This record gives sequence, C-alpha cells and structure tokens, in this order.
Amino acid sequence: MTPRARDEHVQPGSAGIDGSAGLYVHIPFCLTRCGYCDFNTYAGLEHLAGAYLEGLTLESDLAAPEWRDHTFVSVFFGGGTPTMLPSERLGDLLGSLRRRFSFDPAAEITVEANPDTVDGRALAGLLASGVGRLSLGVQSFDPAVLVSLERVHSPQSARTAFAAARSAGFQNVNLDLIYGANGETLESWRRTVEEAVALEPDHLSCYALTVEPSTRLGRKVAAGMVPPPDPDLQADMYHVACDLLGAAGYEHYEISNWATPGRRCLHNMGYWQGRPYLGLGAGAHSHRDGRRWWNVRPPRQYLDLLDGGELPIGGEERLSDAERATERLLLGLRVADGIPAQWLPDGRATPFVEDGLAERRGDRLALTDRGMLVANELVLAFAAGIGGVEPPGP
Amino acid sequence: MDQRLIRNFCIVAHIDHGKSTLADRFLDVTHAVAERQMREQYLDRMDLERERGITIKAQAVRLAYPHDGVEYELNLIDTPGHVDFTYEVSRSLAACEGAILLVDAAQGIEAQTLANFHLARDAGLSIVPVVNKIDLPAANPDGVAEELAELVGAEPQDVLRVSAKSGAGVTELLRALIDRVPSPSGDPAAPLRALVFDSSYDPYRGVVAYLRVVDGEITGRSRVVFMSNRSTSESEEVGVFAPDASPRPALTAGDVGYLITGVKDLRQAKVGDTVTLASRPAGKALPGYREPKPMVWSGLYPAEGGDYAVLRDALDKLKLSDAALVYEPESSLALGFGFRCGFLGLLHMDIVKERLEREFNLELIATAPNVEFRVIRQTEVISVHNPSEMPQPGTYDYVEEPFVLATVVTPSSFLGPVMELCQQRRGSLQDLRYLSPERAEVHYLLPLAEIIFDFFDLLKSRTRGYASLDYEHWGYERSDLVRVDLLLQGEAVDAFSSVVHRDKAPTYGRAMAERLRELIPRQLFEVAIQATIGSRVIARETVRAKRKDVLAKCYGGDITRKRKLLEKQKEGKRRMRRVGRVDVPQEAFIAALRVDQQPAGRQP
Ligand SMILES: Nc1nc2c(ncn2[C@@H]2O[C@H](COP(=O)(O)OP(=O)(O)OP(=O)(O)O)[C@@H](O)[C@H]2O)c(=O)[nH]1
Ligand code: SF4
Ligand SMILES: [Mg+2]
Repeated sequence: MTPRARDEHVQPGSAGIDGSAGLYVHIPFCLTRCGYCDFNTYAGLEHLAGAYLEGLTLESDLAAPEWRDHTFVSVFFGGGTPTMLPSERLGDLLGSLRRRFSFDPAAEITVEANPDTVDGRALAGLLASGVGRLSLGVQSFDPAVLVSLERVHSPQSARTAFAAARSAGFQNVNLDLIYGANGETLESWRRTVEEAVALEPDHLSCYALTVEPSTRLGRKVAAGMVPPPDPDLQADMYHVACDLLGAAGYEHYEISNWATPGRRCLHNMGYWQGRPYLGLGAGAHSHRDGRRWWNVRPPRQYLDLLDGGELPIGGEERLSDAERATERLLLGLRVADGIPAQWLPDGRATPFVEDGLAERRGDRLALTDRGMLVANELVLAFAAGIGGVEPPGP
Repeated sequence: MDQRLIRNFCIVAHIDHGKSTLADRFLDVTHAVAERQMREQYLDRMDLERERGITIKAQAVRLAYPHDGVEYELNLIDTPGHVDFTYEVSRSLAACEGAILLVDAAQGIEAQTLANFHLARDAGLSIVPVVNKIDLPAANPDGVAEELAELVGAEPQDVLRVSAKSGAGVTELLRALIDRVPSPSGDPAAPLRALVFDSSYDPYRGVVAYLRVVDGEITGRSRVVFMSNRSTSESEEVGVFAPDASPRPALTAGDVGYLITGVKDLRQAKVGDTVTLASRPAGKALPGYREPKPMVWSGLYPAEGGDYAVLRDALDKLKLSDAALVYEPESSLALGFGFRCGFLGLLHMDIVKERLEREFNLELIATAPNVEFRVIRQTEVISVHNPSEMPQPGTYDYVEEPFVLATVVTPSSFLGPVMELCQQRRGSLQDLRYLSPERAEVHYLLPLAEIIFDFFDLLKSRTRGYASLDYEHWGYERSDLVRVDLLLQGEAVDAFSSVVHRDKAPTYGRAMAERLRELIPRQLFEVAIQATIGSRVIARETVRAKRKDVLAKCYGGDITRKRKLLEKQKEGKRRMRRVGRVDVPQEAFIAALRVDQQPAGRQP
C-alpha cells in the first residue's frame, strides 16, 4: 500500500474504503481492582457473568443490522479481565458474534488476560475457538513494583502464564508493562524490560503510569501519601524501553507500542487510523462516520436497558470539523507512520524538526522517539490556527 | 430650607478609628434607616468595602434631626481613612462647613489624623474634636483628649467623648455639631452655583453628579450648564441621599444632593466642576479641585485580548465614581493592547482592578507597579510612566525620581527602629516633634519608590504595629536609577522591565529571574531567563525542557476523553501569553509585582 493510499482511509469518519471495521468486547470483571486503575471494571461482580454474556448477545442482535456492510478485521476482548470468564464461555461468545457479524477470515482476534487467570487448558480452549492473539497484563517483573501497583500476581506467575501461552500454541503474544510506579527505579525498569525481551514476546506495550484522580492511587497522591510519578524519570524509562526494544529488533510503531515485524496490533492501529469500530459491553466506545458514542458504564444499568429492548447508549458526540482536524492530528501523530506533511501549513513543523522532536520522512511528517513523549504539546503546536484551533496568545 | 437650619459636616479620621460606625449611630438617632434594614457600617455599600471592612468612597447622607423644637437638616459625609483615598477626603471637605476629627481612644493620634486635620483646617472648616471607642478596655480617653486638644488648639474639656459602638455621647455630639458648625452662608437669591464634589454611573440613568449647592436653586426641570466646558443639558431629577437617593423638587443654597441629567456622555460631569443655570448663569465658577497626582503606574490588560473595548468603556465609567483614576492607552509586545493607569497607591490600584473585574465582568492582568520617572536630556524632560520606555543608559544626562514627604507617628520608644528604616530607604530627616512625651511625629523626605511597596509592612513589624504612616508628594530629585530588563530566550519582555536604584538592581534582578523560573512552565525546549542592565547580564536561570506530556494509553477506543483532555490543555495554553516561542502564564506578570514588593534580602 502506498502512503498516499493509506491516507485515504486514515481520515476519521471515512468508513474505510474497504468497509473494514474493528470489534471491541468489554468484560468488566477483575479479581481485585488495582490501585491505579480507572477502567470500567468491578471486583466481586462475577455472579453477573451469565446475565452479562446474554446481554452481549442481545446487544449484538440490536447492533448487527447497522453493521451488515462492514467486515470486521479485528476483534478485541478487553476489560477488565476477560479470562475471568471460563474459556468455553468466551469461545461461545466468539461463536455467537461470528454468527451475527461478518468476520474477515484472517481477522486478528485478541483476548486480554492476567496471570493467575489462565492455565494451559483454558489457553488451549481459547486457541481452539479462534483466538490468535493473547495480551498478558504483566506490568513488571519486579515484585516490589507489583506490590506498589497493587497487582495481585507475582513475576513468576507472569512467566508461567507466558510459557503456558507458548506451549498452548499462541504465536502472537503481547506483554503489557507499566513504568513509573512509586519506588520503581530506572534500574528496576531496565531489568523488567530485559526480562520481557528475554521471553521473546511478539509485541510489547509499555505504558507510563498515569495518576487518575478517581482511583485509590489518585487519592493517595492528592493526600500527599504517595509522590506522583516523576515525569523526568518516566522520560528516562521510556528511552530505556526505546533503546532496549529497538536493539532487540522491535519496531516502535506507536507511542506505547512495539512489535516484531508484521505483528503490529491491527485492532489498535484501527483506532489511530480512524477505522470504524463497534464496542459491545458496559461502557464500550464506538465510532463511525464522524459519530462517537458509548454505552452506559454500570453493568446492571447496561443489562436493564437491554432487557427493555434498547441499545444501552450512554452518550454520543458528533465531531465538528475543528474537532475532527484536532483528532486526526492527535491520532495520526501517535503512530510512527505520522501524517501527510501537507496537513500542516508550510514551516509550522520546522522549529520542532530542528529541535529533533519531529522528522520528515518523504512526504510524511512523524514524531521522533523524543517527540512522541511530548505528543500532546506537539499536537497543540501543530494544530494552532488550523481546523479551528486558535493559536495561544495574540 | 432656611440655611440657618442646615449643617454640613464630614467625619475624618485615621483608618479604622470608627468613622463609618459613628455614621451608623447618626442614622439610628435620626431614624434614617428602618431598623430591620440597618447593618454595621451601613454607608459602606460596595461589596468590596464590606468584604475588606474599610471605606473606599466618601458617602453623603441627609439626616433630619429635631432639636430645640425645630428640625435641622444635617448633611453628613463619611470619608475613607486610608492614605490612598485622601483625595476623597479633600473633595468632601469642600462640600462642608465643619468636620468631626475622630480619634480612637486606644490608638491616639496617628498619621492620617494629622494629615486630615491639616486638610480640614486649610479648607477653613470648623473642627469638632472627638475621642471614639471610649468603651474599649484599653481606652485612654483623657490622654488622647489632651493630645487632640493640643493638636487642634482647644481645651481638653471641648473634646467630646463617644462610643460609636454603644452610642454613648452621640446625642451630645449632634448637639455640639449644631452649636459649633456654622450654617452655610451662600446666597439663595443669587444665580445657581453648585459644586460637583463626586459622581457615579448608574447603568439605567446615566451619570449622577453629587452636588453641594452654594448659591441659588436648582430644580428637577431646568436647563443646566457645566461651566468648565460650557456643555448644557436638561436636569431630569434632583434629590438627596436619605440615605438612598430620594427625588426632591429642588435643591437650594446650602443643600447637598444629586443631579441626574440623563447624559450618557461620561466625560461631562467632571468632578470639581460648577453647575449653573442656562437661564441665569453665574459669572464665576467655584474654585474646583487640584487634580490628584498619581503615585504609581501599572499596565492593565484584558486577559482576553478581545476585551480591550470593554476595558476602555469600563474605565470611562469607573472614572466617574473614582475621580483620582487616570489612564492612557498603551500596548505591550507581551500583553497586547491595554492601558497604563495611574493610581494613588497600591490599595487604590488593587481596588480599581477588582472593581473593574467585578462590576464589568472583566479579567485583567496588571503589570508590576512603578512610579513616574523623569529623564533629562539636555533641555528636554521626558516623563516615563512605563519602565520599558526608559531610554538606554548613555542616551540621556540623568534621571529624576519622585520624592515624598512622609510623616510617621510612633510611640517614642520605637523612634530608633523607625529612623533606621527610613535611613535604609534613602530617607533624609526633616523634622522630629513630640505630640506628647510618649508619642513622636517624624518627617522624612523619601523616594516614593522606596515606600510605596513594602515600607508600611516593615514599619508596622518594627514597631509592633504602633507606628502609622502618611505621605504627600514633594517633588523630583536626581537619582542613580537603572532599568532592569528580563529576557526570555534573549528577547526582552517589556512587561517585566523595571527601573530600580543601581545598588538594588542585582538583588532585584536575581529575585525576578528566580521567580520567573518558578512560574514559567516547562516547554518543549529549554528556556533561558536573563536579567540585564543595558547589555550586562546580572542574573540567569533556566527552565529545563519538558520531556513527557502524552496520554500513554488509549483505553478501549475512548478517543473522546483524549481529545477533551487535550482541549483542556489547549484552553490553559490559550490563557498564556506568548513571548517569542515561550508561553508565559498570566501569574508571571502578577508575580513580578510581588518581587517588587519584597525584594530578597530586605525581608524583616
Ligand atoms: N469597641 C469599639 N469599637 C468600635 C467603635 N467604633 C468603631 N469600632 C470598631 O472599629 C472598627 C473600624 O470601624 P469603622 O467604622 O469601619 O472605621 P472607619 O474609620 O470607618 O474605617 P475606614 O473607613 O476604613 O477608615 C470596626 O471593627 C468597628 O466595629 C467603638 O466606639 N468602640
Ligand atoms: S487487572 Fe487491569 S482492568 Fe483489572 S483492575 Fe487491574 S488494571 Fe484494572
Ligand atoms: Mg469607614
């Protein structure tokens, strides 16, 4: 595909010339809630699992007619912890989705899993039902950091889960890592990345820990009980990841994502490229034709609305031209492929290119590793004056 | 009204000695305000006055008081005590024949007691000395009455004693006022001459002129002439403040009241002007007021650039109720279009800024205040209101700065520390007098720039709060002043420039550079901050480059949240000022002001 042809379908809102789309399925159950997590997930709500699965089926029934003309090229079971559900049930769910929507035969199908929630049997079951990609929430190989993050598993159980995935036959496994927890040093992080690399996963996501006000961590930081992450240390950690992973042959294809050749996460790429997606489940987000909408968050409310025969929509927005323009910069610049240089007025990017934050690659403009880490600032600077975003100050 | 039954007087005193509270008691005794509407310091009507517990604007009120079987008309003006508002006092004096000089029995005579006494005496008013707060446990009514008698040249037994809080002595005071304050002596039959001693702007009715009728009569339907510019208009309404505006058919010689002409031209009712009648104009205008001289200047800029016109209109309107305010348009590279405004002091500046923000719904940036300098170049004298306009060294002969004659009243035991402080501030002693064996009055010539910012706080802290300060403009003297510029990435930011004494420049420059380092957020590149005098760098600081600012995770396709966060960030940026490539938050411009007030190394 030439870069130009790719531009055509990175325009948010264009339904994708080929009618391709992504499907996200939200499973809002976890063993316990981690201190930093503000996702729409619940500990101790497993008794709802049966009803919730039925709810997903009802929602699929209601949504399917609208998505007849789309082919789903990726499916992502996220959470929460999807593997809180028995693999047979996940398999059934996948089967019921296949009957209602049209899937690309080569669709990328991912399940998120946490160590201690999967064993060889379950993994084999997932693989058998068509799941080809596993994303493991490892976060760190330093036990002290896992405690600091209030994760309930050990580094060993992460290794065990990874080994189990490989022996079950998973050929596309991602590890999620988090850097910047209270007490984590640069050295500790380096070892975590090294250990991750040693396992030879196909894909790695490294996320800078973000303090969300509504979380336990957020409250502790606000109360001064825990220091907020040091952005400079996080920057150093990010560069350690860039260096080690680069040296190990991973491509840094998005701010927080690295992959071996050919293993970019197709589903996540869809978000950056503006491909339409349908989200099923409590709090799930969808996007199509310049409209973004999302389901109500509380699982019970989600189920009640479906019982009443209604789509459980909690809100929506239609993007103005200005918002679309900001968004396509925001999304496009996250990815290593960048944006067509002509999206920006002449010279707009020059000082940032000179500062080594951005780079011209042929007729495209992309952020460097250093630039990606300050993408917010760069998007604001680039967007100033175009698409209705006013320049700061007179 | 028979002029013999009119008494026009004001209450003057040092700040907080109880003027407005005494006015409350007068309102009580004369039943001017319904009981359930009464509240403390009733005449302090502005929100700002009530919040701060001080009077900012003089307030006139008419009281009806029966005495010896006849009803007297008492026109009372409550005045502010703070030194910044002395101009309000002097204008009020011109509308009166008498003044109550009020002194707190626990504090004794203070600096504004002296200042206001001299003003009232020079205006030819009869002075009624009164000791207030005699109910306080710490009160020393006898001692204070003696000091006060000595000051005004009366006998201690002529000094009245009241408690404005309990009302004790207030009726006696009213009687004394009737006895001692002369009634007005204008000619009711002569052509109208009325002094505009104040004004305000009413959004519904336009300009309200506050009048003291000296001669003649004005009715609600007459053609009036403002004598300074000969402009004429129809009077729509005249009336009195009782204490709310109440229309009357006419105001006659001796009366104090208001005039509404429905004029929307804000410049027409100039304070100090004389109003007469078109049908029978007076020959000679009344002596007006001397324009007050601004003490400090500061740039006021709308935080939202588009509000420039709103700000101009707001200043025009505010000027009507604050005659001391002066302003001229200016522009700044950093702040855009705004006004350089002259104020009578920092409190005045603060009040004006806050009134503009509240009453006109504006958000403003004020630059660090400065005094007015004079640059002498051969025969040319250039007045500089804005430090960034100060020419580069070597291009002029010398610079002059304003000096004030300061009066400090202090317990004698603190004379040492007071004089030391004045000396440190480049002061020269002019006079030292004892009000009593325990209290002294010292006079110093001081550069205005040395006292306007933190001097008062230091004075208070070195005298355990006992000393008080008053000052008046003296004149210009030659000084060794230099301009300190602040540079970001090598580019001078005009709004940060300051003119300071050469000896103090390095400390000032360092303090400013440090403050800016704290206030300027990290940007995508390293920001160099320098303080310079001419081409010489006296301080430097760096703001390190920002390295991380990104939303790491895009959770489950929630792009909306990401975009909203970014929009919030954008809004924050929009409120910053861009200097070259550097985004400077508005607080930085305000902080510059604080550095000025408390130069490092000079804190007590
Ligand atoms: N105990 C006592 N307190 C008083 C008396 N008169 C006034 N006060 C208090 O002194 C304080 C200042 O009173 P104000 O009437 O606001 O003083 P002011 O002179 O009008 O002050 P400015 O207008 O700001 O100059 C208030 O807290 C009053 O309650 C009094 O006779 N006795
Ligand atoms: S396991 Fe993941 S989704 Fe569940 S609480 Fe922890 S971080 Fe949140
Ligand atoms: Mg008062």
